[in-house]
Amino acid sequence: MTELAPMEFHPQPQAGEPKPWAFPAPGRGTLPNGLTVLRCDRPGQQVVAVEVLLHAPLDAEPAGLDGVATIMARAFSEGTDKHSAEEFAAELERCGATLDSHADHPGVRLSLEVPASRLAKALGLIADALRAPAFADSEVERLVRNRLDEIPHELANPGRRAAMELSKELFPADSRMSRPRQGTAETVANIDAAAVRAFYEKHVRPATATAVVVGDLTGLDLDALLADTLGAWTGSAAEPRPVPPVTADDTGRVVIVDRPGAVQTQLLIGRTGPDRHDRVWPAQVLGTYCLGGTLTSRLDRVLREEKGYTYGVRAFGQVLRSAPDGTGTAMLAISGSVDTPNTGPALDDLWTVLRTLAAEGLTDAERDVAVQNLVGVAPLRYETAAAVASTLADQVEQYLPDDYQATLYRQLAATGTVEATAAVVNAFPVDRLVTVLVGDAAKIKEPVEALGIGEVTVVAAE
Amino acid sequence: MARFRPVNQHSESVQVSAIEGTYMPMGHTATAEAGSGGLTATEHRLANGLRVVLSEDHLTPVAAVCLWYDVGSRHEVKGRTGLAHLFEHLMFQGSAQVKGNGHFELVQGAGGSLNGTTSFERTNYFETMPAHQLELALWLEADRMGSLLAALDEESMENQRDVVKNERRQRYDNVPYGTAFEKLTALAYPEGHPYHHTPIGSMADLDAATLEDARAFFRTYYAPNNAVLSVVGDIDPERTLAWIEKYFGSIPSHDGKPAPRDGTLPDVIGQELREVVEEEVPARALMAAYRLPHDGTRACDAADLALTVLGGGESSRLYNRLVRRDRTAVGAGFGLLRLVGAPSLGWLDVKTSGDVEVPVVEAAIDEELARFAEEGPTAEEMERAQAQLEREWLDRLGTVAGRADELCRYAVLFGDPQLALSAVGRILEVTAEEVQEVAKARLRPDNRAVLVYEPTAPQAADADATDETEEEAK
Repeated sequence: MTELAPMEFHPQPQAGEPKPWAFPAPGRGTLPNGLTVLRCDRPGQQVVAVEVLLHAPLDAEPAGLDGVATIMARAFSEGTDKHSAEEFAAELERCGATLDSHADHPGVRLSLEVPASRLAKALGLIADALRAPAFADSEVERLVRNRLDEIPHELANPGRRAAMELSKELFPADSRMSRPRQGTAETVANIDAAAVRAFYEKHVRPATATAVVVGDLTGLDLDALLADTLGAWTGSAAEPRPVPPVTADDTGRVVIVDRPGAVQTQLLIGRTGPDRHDRVWPAQVLGTYCLGGTLTSRLDRVLREEKGYTYGVRAFGQVLRSAPDGTGTAMLAISGSVDTPNTGPALDDLWTVLRTLAAEGLTDAERDVAVQNLVGVAPLRYETAAAVASTLADQVEQYLPDDYQATLYRQLAATGTVEATAAVVNAFPVDRLVTVLVGDAAKIKEPVEALGIGEVTVVAAE
Repeated sequence: MARFRPVNQHSESVQVSAIEGTYMPMGHTATAEAGSGGLTATEHRLANGLRVVLSEDHLTPVAAVCLWYDVGSRHEVKGRTGLAHLFEHLMFQGSAQVKGNGHFELVQGAGGSLNGTTSFERTNYFETMPAHQLELALWLEADRMGSLLAALDEESMENQRDVVKNERRQRYDNVPYGTAFEKLTALAYPEGHPYHHTPIGSMADLDAATLEDARAFFRTYYAPNNAVLSVVGDIDPERTLAWIEKYFGSIPSHDGKPAPRDGTLPDVIGQELREVVEEEVPARALMAAYRLPHDGTRACDAADLALTVLGGGESSRLYNRLVRRDRTAVGAGFGLLRLVGAPSLGWLDVKTSGDVEVPVVEAAIDEELARFAEEGPTAEEMERAQAQLEREWLDRLGTVAGRADELCRYAVLFGDPQLALSAVGRILEVTAEEVQEVAKARLRPDNRAVLVYEPTAPQAADADATDETEEEAK
């Protein structure tokens, strides 16, 4: 049989005329109770996404009660003044709705998705949960026990274990950021219904909350709907809560979390950097994509596509917490898994990629492809209401203007190769990276020490 | 594995990893939105047998290309498990006019996204493009369909073999309970059955695969008459069809594909199959696979509803019983793995709480399943389950990529893409009696394979031993 099928070949086609697309601009308003509302009509998006942001940050958790924000977030869907816990879950699912509640450094977030036809009913349930949560002793006790049961599962997951260790290494012990977002077994065990209610009363009120509503709003009287639901939630005004400053120790070093017998080493290499308020952010996004944004970026070109050490290694920047004055912090990191015998060689190659990048910089071609991808994928990325709502909510949470994302696309397109190079080299300096390796210390310690990328210490997995 | 209360996953339903991918995307994947109302699709067939499905939607300037090849791990032979998936990786290593990683470079450079995945029953490749870059994606897919072997060499074979072995380590071998799916599948489908092994394959077979195996695989299965191409989104159907004719039309068709081995099995296993796994896992677990009706039947939709009522969310019977009332489980959920060429699988996953022993949980589950078979779903449970499955369909059909994939699925597996657009209606037609009937017939102890996990390392006894927990870095 011939190797070349006798097909007729044609030259690579040229692109057609691009159609204009812009990140949607939301409408912004405030309800009489002080709740900020962002709305965005996306015709055709029958599943509406609602994000509610509560200004209840993790640093507000009382000492010894790490995890209380998480338990409160979960307890919102465990009953109200109208419904028991089981009834509440049943009523939500009857709407075909899903509700995620999640506590992170900037605050607590409730994410609702529901078909537009049942938005009114679902919004009513969420409003009840925020206005009059039951926080019943027995339900909170159950959530606490459930949370305690989850912890060993998380400790056994290499990726999550690595992330936990990196936070502990980077931040001082008295910083909330050094400790697990959802608390430890010790702190979670201290949480009860009274603690949850106290946290709620102190930090949850409409005046410091924001709701983002995105989807096909055709035929919906959203104002009336909001007035009947989230508008009925009341609470006092509040003083703005200062955002604590963040310091991090990025002295180059290696911590091995020992997992004897592991067939792969989970690696997480990171430090901190500025957040989206910093002018360098667009260039850093661009440069980080060139370093490790995809399979054809520098890291995977070597570690995956040349050496086969990994299924994929990624570099990224993730905002941890922003402040109104622009003094926020992001995590800059490289993560992935490599097979145990090749852990030393893979890290050696990774450092070589970073050194080469610092010495030679990015090419114009790399920069062009990165811009075309990052800007070009926007209409795909924001096809759904949930994606738009999530980004709008991120902007609010990070004290950014509502047109931030739209502006970012223009800035990315205007960022040059030199700026992108400088940003990524500054973001990942070879001697200021904390390396966490979750793997078999007996097999990987010596080869990693030989690399000279920092002092190596070994800690137990549990 | 099923994670509990994961951030981007709404229900406790079990996520079964029956699909292997090429590429590890890391960005946020948002759930999709609706738009099934008023959707239409047209069907076409090229002279070489390539079936084409087009669906217009001008709301957003994007277009999705999806290509399903009618080949999956069920077509693999003994000693070559994992070959379909390894081959899928090789499809991204260049073809006659596309160098090396050109598929990725060109699509991403055009502002598109792409990937490929392999399951038991099919292999798919897909690109979502800004609408004005659609022609590039068609050109790329045609180039590899017609000329992959011009570029396929030993170097990419060796490299992707290592990548896939690391994919296997990362997703299965290096995570707790990671091989549960593989073990249960092997129990549920007997030795020699085409679904006895999963798409990822074994390390030994991945090592044994040769370049000639890959070439033969391409020659056998990668032909236009063994594929369906769908294009969905902001497209001009006439022009799109002309491009498809231009790029794909000259690729020769090819017959001689062997039929997959027969996957017929009795409706009910007839006895409980059981395996106890002693491994270093964080908690005891009970997992089970029930043999269920084939995908495409009304009974399969009824089974989907039954599993949703029993274990599809935080108001399900098993969640209420095990997590809320008995407090014997961390999480409890049922999932459905829909299959056409073999019985589908109803997938149960329960991780026990604290020191609770598996028999306690198992007795409660059996009691709930028996009660459900006896009384059937309530009207309110039917309403909830149908509302949940309806929203899942709205999500799936709400993006151009999701719609393109579903159109291909129904065209390849059932011969009629239009069935994708009416699927939600069929679920809403199922009656409570049908749900009860399938539960009674299938959700029985003598129709399941059971996997019990007993941790080997002593479980952490005191709080001080686990004073740290996870953080999500991404």
